[in-house]
Amino acid sequence: MLWKIIIFLGMSAVIVAAFLTASPMRAANSLGPADVYRIFYFHVPQAWVASLAFVLSMIYSIRFLRTRNMKYDTKALTANKLGVMFAIVAMVTGSIFAKMTWGEFWNWSEVREVSVFILLLIYGGYFALRSAIADPDTRANLSAVISIIFAVAALFLIFVLPRIYSAFSQHPSDSIIDKSGQITMGLTVRMIFFSSLIMFTALFFWIYNLSIRVARLTAKKMLESK
Amino acid sequence: MPTRSISWVSKTLAVTRKDIVSEFRTRYAINAIVMFALVTLTVISFSVGLLSPSKEILSALFWVILFFASMSGLAQAFIKEEETGTAMILRLSCEGSIVFFGKMLFNFLLLLTLSILVVPLFIVFLKVVPTDWTLFIGAVLMGLIGLSGATTIIAAIVSKASVQGALFTVLSFPVLLPLLVAVIEITTVSFTGGTFADASAPLQLLVAYDVIMITLSSMLFDFVWRI
Amino acid sequence: MFELELKNVSKYFGARKVFENINLDLKSGQSLAIAGPNGSGKTTLLRIIIGLMVPTGGEVLFSKEKQKLDFDSYRPFLSLVGPYLSLYGSLTARENLKFISKVNGLMPSEEDIEKILEQVGLEGRGNDYFSDFSSGMQQRLKYAAALIKNPSILIFDEPTSNLDDEGKKRVFDIINRYRPDSIIIIATNEKEEYSLADSIYKLGE
Repeated sequence: MLWKIIIFLGMSAVIVAAFLTASPMRAANSLGPADVYRIFYFHVPQAWVASLAFVLSMIYSIRFLRTRNMKYDTKALTANKLGVMFAIVAMVTGSIFAKMTWGEFWNWSEVREVSVFILLLIYGGYFALRSAIADPDTRANLSAVISIIFAVAALFLIFVLPRIYSAFSQHPSDSIIDKSGQITMGLTVRMIFFSSLIMFTALFFWIYNLSIRVARLTAKKMLESK
Repeated sequence: MPTRSISWVSKTLAVTRKDIVSEFRTRYAINAIVMFALVTLTVISFSVGLLSPSKEILSALFWVILFFASMSGLAQAFIKEEETGTAMILRLSCEGSIVFFGKMLFNFLLLLTLSILVVPLFIVFLKVVPTDWTLFIGAVLMGLIGLSGATTIIAAIVSKASVQGALFTVLSFPVLLPLLVAVIEITTVSFTGGTFADASAPLQLLVAYDVIMITLSSMLFDFVWRI
Repeated sequence: MFELELKNVSKYFGARKVFENINLDLKSGQSLAIAGPNGSGKTTLLRIIIGLMVPTGGEVLFSKEKQKLDFDSYRPFLSLVGPYLSLYGSLTARENLKFISKVNGLMPSEEDIEKILEQVGLEGRGNDYFSDFSSGMQQRLKYAAALIKNPSILIFDEPTSNLDDEGKKRVFDIINRYRPDSIIIIATNEKEEYSLADSIYKLGE
């Protein structure tokens, strides 16, 4: 209950601040209205949470294979469910951001856009596999294995590929991240951005804990009704 | 009577040999794979052969043919084993790693046969000749090794699920994507007159991918196989 | 001397209980029949015993001369015959037996294979394909594949299904021959097969 209030107040403060302060992009550098760049405050934290969920589910998958404790399967599944949600939102806000930066909603040479898309493909594969297996033990086991394989493939795609593939080079270099990859933001922008990052992370863990509790209670109820 | 001194390698080769003998008698996988490749190749030749596509596009098309053809048949290795009930006796007979590497070698040989058929046809139909044959053959071999390594464990996973065919492609694609990107880059270099030095970055990625994926898959294989 | 021990083994499929707190202790020379209606978990229990299914609770211990063995080290001593286990249809009987021996690390001679085919009543059929066999003959070849390992623990799921009277007699002879030195577990509903075991464990009661 306390968390609900803290997250509500924090999120509200971030939203208000994001729209009351000046846009993080100088109007001179912008392709469209500079106000659009406020989406940066929300897009990056969403993408961060989606990746966090992915890493979390991989960690729980490894733990599941080590212990065979179904609790970790539930945790990996929940992290993946939330991951899909945030990845979809991040993809939508990301393409709006991209439209304003390069004039296109979608660009196959932008490594971050492509990675979010592949992340969605991976989630799709994960859920397709789960729904194709009836036995809960087998399902938990096999989806843990595929999670780990996916995670290694994703590491290749996100960290190794851009170094090789020269076309993968664009990113928003004008205002927020400069050519050397350093973040150049004013103090206000930085404060709003990092509060938003913290609030989205808190929001994620709050939903995550609630979902775990629901899953646990559902399982308990099913056991009792037998 | 018997001795318990048969090495790991010859047990693994026995699994591969058994699959080859079965395949020769039933032609379960090779027919599907070869026909799929031929049909795709024909469609591609008809549709883009007259447009004189660039070398980059041709190298991508070459791997599209190999990828989808392998998707049509590689999963059979485990699905048949699981459906007929022979998987059970295999589980009680040897370590998982023997099954994994035996099947992987079989899948590799299957893809090699396919490539030996497809490469000449591709060159003739689409009028593209690799300028650096060593690089081209190296790319194909390294690509097929990675392809068979990564798909062997996915085939084992899929054999325990329903809707196996579609699921196999859905699970394989994200896993094979880094491999495909690297191998298409190398093939392009080999078509456009480049040398090993020009392809060194994707070659490194390809080698790293093959080594890491095969190691990881063989480590995880027991979790899939023994349940 | 082998010993198989089940301690408080239970299995749930999701929320559905299959069985709970099974305790068994078998030593070489002892045999056990597992009885119970269809769906009582006989096959599930067998799968747990042979290490191909993880129990929800409890543990299965297998030891040789009081030395505990893990799955990879007790597999060579273990054979199973059951309806969900089959041999390769596109290989001949002889090729099947050779392949199974080889992956088990064995090198039987041609005479060894002939002898084992004779034991199960398939003499002279070594060059026929497994898929061309009748279901009774297939069942006999499964016995041949199980016995070629010379196992110390034998597990049978419905051992006489698909067999005619002559085949049943052979199976009874085989089991009785292995009884003095091996651990034998038989999952069955046939009353006459209870006589093959020293004791009976009833599931689903």
